Amino acid sequence: MATDIVMPQLGESIAEGTIVKWLIPLGGHVQKDQSLLEVETDKVALDIPSPATGSLTEILIQEGETVPVGTLLARLDYHSESGNGDPVTTPVQPSASFGPGYSTVSGAPDLLSPAVRELVTKYQVDLGRITGTGMNGRITKKDILEFLDKQALLREEAGDSPSVQAASTASSLGEDLIPLSPMRRTIAERMVKSRQTAAHVVTFFEVDFTTVEKARQDLHLTYLPFVIKAVTRGIAAFPILNSSWSAKGLVLKHAMHIGVAVAIDEGLLVPVLKHADQKDLLQLGREVADLSQRARSKQLRPEEVQGGTFTITNHGGTGSLFSTPIINQPQIAILGVGAVQRRAVVVNETVDIRPMAYLSLSFDHRAIDGATADQFMLMVKSVLEQPAWEVTR
Amino acid sequence: MEISQSEFLHLYYYLRLTRALEERVTTLYRQGRIVGGAYTSHGMEAISVGYASALQADDIIAPFHRDMGAFLVRGITPGEVLAQYLGKRTGPTKGKDGNVHMGDLKRGIFAFVSHLADNLPVATGAALAFKIRGESRIVATNTGEGGTSRGDFHEALNFASVRRLPVVFFCNNNQYAYSTPLHHQMAIKDVVERAKAYAIPGEIVDGNDVVSVYLTAQRAFQRAREGEGPTFIECKTMRMHGHSEHDSAKYVPRELLEEWKKKDPILNAERQLKKLGYADEPDFHEIHMRVEKEIESAVEFAEQSPLPEGPEALEGVFAANPVEVLI
Amino acid sequence: MTTSAIAHEVTYLEAISQALDEEMSQDERVFLMGQDIGPYGGAFRVTEGFQDKYGEWRVLDTPLSESGIVGAAIGAAMMGMRPVVEMQFADFISCAFDQITEMAAKNHYRWGAEVPLVIRAPYGGGTHGGPFHSVCPEAWFFHTPGLKLVAPSTAYDAKGLLKAAIRDHNPVLYFEHKFLYRRIKEVLPTEDFVVPIGEAEIKREGGDISVITYGAMVHVALDAAEALDQEGIDMEVVDLRTLSPLDTDTIKDSVRKTGKVIILHEDTKTGGIGGEIAAILAEECFNALDAPVMRIAAPDIPVPYSPPLEDFFLPKMNDVITAARQLAAY
Repeated sequence: MATDIVMPQLGESIAEGTIVKWLIPLGGHVQKDQSLLEVETDKVALDIPSPATGSLTEILIQEGETVPVGTLLARLDYHSESGNGDPVTTPVQPSASFGPGYSTVSGAPDLLSPAVRELVTKYQVDLGRITGTGMNGRITKKDILEFLDKQALLREEAGDSPSVQAASTASSLGEDLIPLSPMRRTIAERMVKSRQTAAHVVTFFEVDFTTVEKARQDLHLTYLPFVIKAVTRGIAAFPILNSSWSAKGLVLKHAMHIGVAVAIDEGLLVPVLKHADQKDLLQLGREVADLSQRARSKQLRPEEVQGGTFTITNHGGTGSLFSTPIINQPQIAILGVGAVQRRAVVVNETVDIRPMAYLSLSFDHRAIDGATADQFMLMVKSVLEQPAWEVTR
Repeated sequence: MEISQSEFLHLYYYLRLTRALEERVTTLYRQGRIVGGAYTSHGMEAISVGYASALQADDIIAPFHRDMGAFLVRGITPGEVLAQYLGKRTGPTKGKDGNVHMGDLKRGIFAFVSHLADNLPVATGAALAFKIRGESRIVATNTGEGGTSRGDFHEALNFASVRRLPVVFFCNNNQYAYSTPLHHQMAIKDVVERAKAYAIPGEIVDGNDVVSVYLTAQRAFQRAREGEGPTFIECKTMRMHGHSEHDSAKYVPRELLEEWKKKDPILNAERQLKKLGYADEPDFHEIHMRVEKEIESAVEFAEQSPLPEGPEALEGVFAANPVEVLI
Repeated sequence: MTTSAIAHEVTYLEAISQALDEEMSQDERVFLMGQDIGPYGGAFRVTEGFQDKYGEWRVLDTPLSESGIVGAAIGAAMMGMRPVVEMQFADFISCAFDQITEMAAKNHYRWGAEVPLVIRAPYGGGTHGGPFHSVCPEAWFFHTPGLKLVAPSTAYDAKGLLKAAIRDHNPVLYFEHKFLYRRIKEVLPTEDFVVPIGEAEIKREGGDISVITYGAMVHVALDAAEALDQEGIDMEVVDLRTLSPLDTDTIKDSVRKTGKVIILHEDTKTGGIGGEIAAILAEECFNALDAPVMRIAAPDIPVPYSPPLEDFFLPKMNDVITAARQLAAY
């Protein structure tokens, strides 16, 4: 008995995925729930567990290939291993358990649902080329969408795509062409889109990290949890910073889900600390460490990179002093944190050596004005410079 | 207690204004210019004029459909009343509701609903607000004897008494609930009996004597203002027209109407004004002419006012919240 | 220096209590009326200790007089107060039907008088309350223009929606599900927050089938979604949160994505809110439908008392699973 391995839907907006690596070789044995392959999408990279115990009898899509969600990737034979002929998915039950108040549905083989009719008209689909997988062979919406995806894939493979032409040209000129990974494409798309839509303005503040320095040594933390804490306090005072742009108006988010940009080998991921305002410094420290570690090892779940309401990028980690970050749409601001450096500063009319850093706030001038942005930054600065830190929420 | 000349002339003016306005309503109804029903307080004007005149400016009334005098005393103009009857945009409900179904919080008037006695719990609630906030404002509410058979009447009296709320309940006992005579409505002779069960002091007054209503109301209002709780005042009267203007009221014996005609509240007031030396025929004529003129211009205002546009029907189901989620 | 705060989990019931407490302490116009809410603290102990804190006149014990009390709340609301009336059980709201549907619902439309009134209605079955302590009465009021209806499914929504209801300028019926009172809990934000009235929430994202539901049934739907996940059926759970005015955009967006829909509610089927949603989808999302719209609701009978009867009556996870499998295969 064989089961199909298909490209999973990793998050609601994901249309395709790239096979990074087959973790089980062809013919290899795999346990149910053991990692079978590594897949990357434009949002996450993660391991896909096997749906059953068995041996990998067929690999249809090779490493490095990008295919639409639902594409058949491989086949797993588990008949020989378990001797159990049960299919993996539970078959449709008759509706016997329904009480008197419930509806049941029945299909007709030649029935085209309104959704299917619309797609057929829109894309001029030849229904003769599609085999229905629905009840009594009904052609479902999914069948049409999968068919359309395959058609698009075939056109690309036919060799008329610009990337293939560019590749041949590049190599002939003594240059190397680096293919764009899905993550690279996504980053490129989103950054350009953000630049094109938002009215970016950047404001800079200098912050004295003396008390943070002391507290973080006591608590064995990085600077980041303190910055996150200061940002949540800033948002509490100026909630508008926690809104997102929409055509109808600014949507003010009540929950503070703070995204933290993490550099990984392939690019950049922004895991999100949910309800960051409700967590104490130690919790924030733990979660930042956990999310960064799992971002690098591609263990993030789709929901862990979604739903952010404000983003922090810690470019100082690589020695950068200033930066003008690009806003993570549809949010309206992003905070850049520069490197903390010991500098001579004037304090109480004398020169003192203090750990200092530059903070930059890129904000969308469509949504807020400079005065609001600066008041928010003053709040963040004053929280970071508070005389004594406590591990409170 | 005595009534001053200026107070009495004020009451008399409003009796005449109410009578003249409602007579005009009847005329407009018979001419087919009023599209819906028309309900008047003909012969019962002394009750609403009397109690409403005894209130202070920031008090509240929760009236019913025989209370035209109270609406006018509280500042609803005859023009607004006629605009309301004609379904015009200038009426207090902008055409959303008809006839006497109108209110205005700025003028301290709760609009009533057709479900009679529903306004009584609402009146007690306003009194509760005043009590909680320690204000000396009071509420006056009125219903017919018909409405006193409903549960809301009893729930309102009970709650008002338990919490000693500053509300005064009037009952316009006009002997008929539509066509049903009093003895088929209740097994007691006087509606005031009902108040006893709630330990509310009750009084019976001649509802056709505006001065009696006025002075009794004043005393009850004073009690309420001083924290002594509610009073129930039964005003005995007679409905001289049908339930509404389409109803010929043939079920009411003619001799009963003839008898009550002699007790007409306007004639009654005139007799007393003359006796007290406060006014005489030339004064009555002068007031009558003034009132007629007011009604003429009210008709003109109402007729020249625009009707609402159909889609305005969609407006106002909800009050807008000042705090919106989208900013 | 390091006093680590432990996040405190709050039940659905405590969330309601917190919302009342916070609104009363920050707005002196807010006051409570109801039966046994004073020294006794309410039949479900939502207002325990409130009378000591706010006094007899802001936590007002009333006679058995639902119509009179709702009427009084309307009068107080029109005089600038913010009354919150507790029905001891939602079932008894029928006694106040007239005041709610004729007075509260129509005042603003007729003559512009705002009625900022909240009626809390502890509703729903699963607690062996029988025909008079289990009812879901929302559909009676769903049909009445001028009322807002909310029905939270989580502690967060319970608190946020009650605060929003109290701050709203209109009459709001707040349906709190008795079965959830002490069965669910979560950590709530310490700051002031509201859940805006009129916004549904996707409680679980999914691509195959939309389940549109509210109240205790949200949890039934989520359990079913978890179970179906293992079968490769990816259900989206839309929690309406506000029943009136309905967030039709969120409903339609979800159905346009999935093409298949189950409408699930605990209230009886005929004339229930599900029928209206099905009609909206038929009118406005016809071209997005890839399968018949299915309703799962209680049968058209009063809520029976005996456990096997009540269990039969209430929609269950298996009903959702069976319907979802049919739709997935369709």
